[in-house]
Amino acid sequence: MKAAGAGASGQRHRVLPAGLRLVRLHLASRRVVTCLLILAACAVVLRVALHWLPRTGTLSRQIPLTIEAATAAAIGVTARSPFGDPERATGRWLPFLRLATVLALAGAAVGALAAAATSAHLASGSLGLLRDVGGFTGIALLTSAVLGGGLAWIGPVAYLGVSVAALAGRWTTPWAWPARPPQDRGAAICAAAVFVAGVAVVVARGARGAAAE
Amino acid sequence: MTAMTARVARAPARRVWLAGPARLLRLELRRNPMPWTLPLLAVLFWVSTYRPAMSNPPLWNVRGSMLQAQTMLTFAPVLAGVAAWAGSREGRRGTTDLVTITGLPRWAGRLAAWAAVTFWAEVAYLAGVAVVYGITAHQATWGGPLWWPVAVGAATGAAACAVGFAAGSLAPSRFTAPLAAVTVFLALGAGAFALQHGARATYSQIWPLNVQGAFPKDSFGIFYPFPPDLSIAQLMFAGGLGAAALGAVGLPAVAGGRWLRAAAAAVTIAGLAAAGTAVGLAGTARLEAHGIVIPALHDAASDRPVRYTPVCSGAGIPVCLQPAYRAYLPEVTTAVGPLLHELAGLPGAPTRVIQVAVTSVQEGPSNGIEFGPPVISGTPPVLYLPLSGLTLPGEGATPAGFAGAIQDNLLPMLNAFAGLRAEPGSGVTPRPSGSGATAQLAVAMALAQDAGLLTRIPPGTPVAGTAGSVGQSAGSLPPAARAQAAVANRFAALPAATRHAWLLTHLAALRAGHITPAGIP
Repeated sequence: MKAAGAGASGQRHRVLPAGLRLVRLHLASRRVVTCLLILAACAVVLRVALHWLPRTGTLSRQIPLTIEAATAAAIGVTARSPFGDPERATGRWLPFLRLATVLALAGAAVGALAAAATSAHLASGSLGLLRDVGGFTGIALLTSAVLGGGLAWIGPVAYLGVSVAALAGRWTTPWAWPARPPQDRGAAICAAAVFVAGVAVVVARGARGAAAE
Repeated sequence: MTAMTARVARAPARRVWLAGPARLLRLELRRNPMPWTLPLLAVLFWVSTYRPAMSNPPLWNVRGSMLQAQTMLTFAPVLAGVAAWAGSREGRRGTTDLVTITGLPRWAGRLAAWAAVTFWAEVAYLAGVAVVYGITAHQATWGGPLWWPVAVGAATGAAACAVGFAAGSLAPSRFTAPLAAVTVFLALGAGAFALQHGARATYSQIWPLNVQGAFPKDSFGIFYPFPPDLSIAQLMFAGGLGAAALGAVGLPAVAGGRWLRAAAAAVTIAGLAAAGTAVGLAGTARLEAHGIVIPALHDAASDRPVRYTPVCSGAGIPVCLQPAYRAYLPEVTTAVGPLLHELAGLPGAPTRVIQVAVTSVQEGPSNGIEFGPPVISGTPPVLYLPLSGLTLPGEGATPAGFAGAIQDNLLPMLNAFAGLRAEPGSGVTPRPSGSGATAQLAVAMALAQDAGLLTRIPPGTPVAGTAGSVGQSAGSLPPAARAQAAVANRFAALPAATRHAWLLTHLAALRAGHITPAGIP
């Protein structure tokens, strides 16, 4: 009885460090620390840019959008796994780890950029920032599921090009959400739908195998 | 016999030496990520360039400018990212040691990979150019393709590939490609910002998306040849930047032997020197009537006007346009016709209207530009009418809006016709002082009303293009302005024949400032 009690306690002690170790290894395999450093660098660049940028005009939207796309591209690239099938076959906690990683990084991106925009004029406002980062991140995650994590950046960078054309051409479709005002409900729904789709696909299936890249 | 054998043996050796790099290039062309991005580039080209180009008038300068600016804004970041991805291949796959021991120096091998990426990028870009220029050739009424913007676009693409490839090669990581793409995008945005808001905006004219500075896209390359000065500097800049990046790829110890690395260092330094020289040359750029001029690169041949046969309206006073603007002849004739009718027969009235590139150009703040209004000059008098900078039908303006914009531009010319002097360069007529000037302005306002350039004359409102009190209510106007409006309304209400007869006899005195408001019927 005593031996059994001691065994359960020891197992509990072993499980907790093992769980933490799993999380740590997962984050390390995804280069999450580097990603966080990039997010911090993006926030610094945004802060510097907002100091110089005009309050209106194309540039006041284009430069922050570029930085938002950069954060999304970095998040998308972290979806890449160096292990591939062995990890899929053995990691039952993998979907939860992926979900937590993506949500934490997206939250960190929005938080860092919002903090950088504090006491400065961000043309799209905090609501627009949330919408655009979410939409770009969704695109990056979907791209990682289709092309592979290493190529996840192509989606946000290409969509950034489309957004610049949409800004210049004053497109009204909600699918070009960066060109819409922050209060546009349709644009927000489209961006949110893309984000949810991206998160769902990556959580369920992960990024496409590294071998395919 | 021995010598003959040696000759026979040497020939295949040379072929083998050439065959190695060629085969490597062939392999790189086949196993390259860029062909997979061609559909994406096609979509981006359609969105960023093709759609806007086709919704603009079929003018070669408008569409040629888009092929440099709009296309490269969307292409260059993607090209840099894909090139970085290709450049980081050996690092990602862990094959650096494996390929370092091959017979070909690594720098040469890396250059072959860059050449393959750039080849596909240029194929994509030039295919887009062919589509836009091919359609424009069918639609345009005059002129031919502008190749300088295309050359700058192609060089910018190659430079973006080189910079991205060098980043991927020197710092292979999963984050290198996205960072390279975004950095290029940010650099292009920062260039636009520097051009608009920089204290020394002339250096930032080198920005690779800049086509003739602040000149509107339809204002160069028609009446005078496209001035290539800035394009040459941009080619130097892009070429230098690309060379410096490719040279940097050859600097690490694994790239090759000592001599090869020394050559790579020399290429890097030469590239940086070329890019720096180009920036320095851009710093000497100045705005002239037909585009950006860099004295050290300027060719006097580009100052000679282009020969063309104008298209003219048939009836009355001929209105002659450059054949590229043939489609707008009805709108222009409608816009200037009533005024020409109003002035016909008066001393100094135009006997012909000729479209010109510009009448005067002035540099504005924030890389801005201001064009002078139409002017009447010469013997016999000719109305020189610039259309540069106006929004043309097809660019977003309706035909009526286009005609209205032309009429607005004619108002300062009408002030000058009545004898008011405009401020040099701006075309703005200062608020009149003295009874002679008040009479001149009243007559100009009346003529503008009768020609349909002003639909009504609010009391005290000077003719557009004059400094004054637009928008003031009659009650708040000073008595002098109210009196001036009353004179203008009275003169405009006269029968046309009476007004014309009075002007015939009194116009010289009016221009000399000898007529007072009380002397106007």
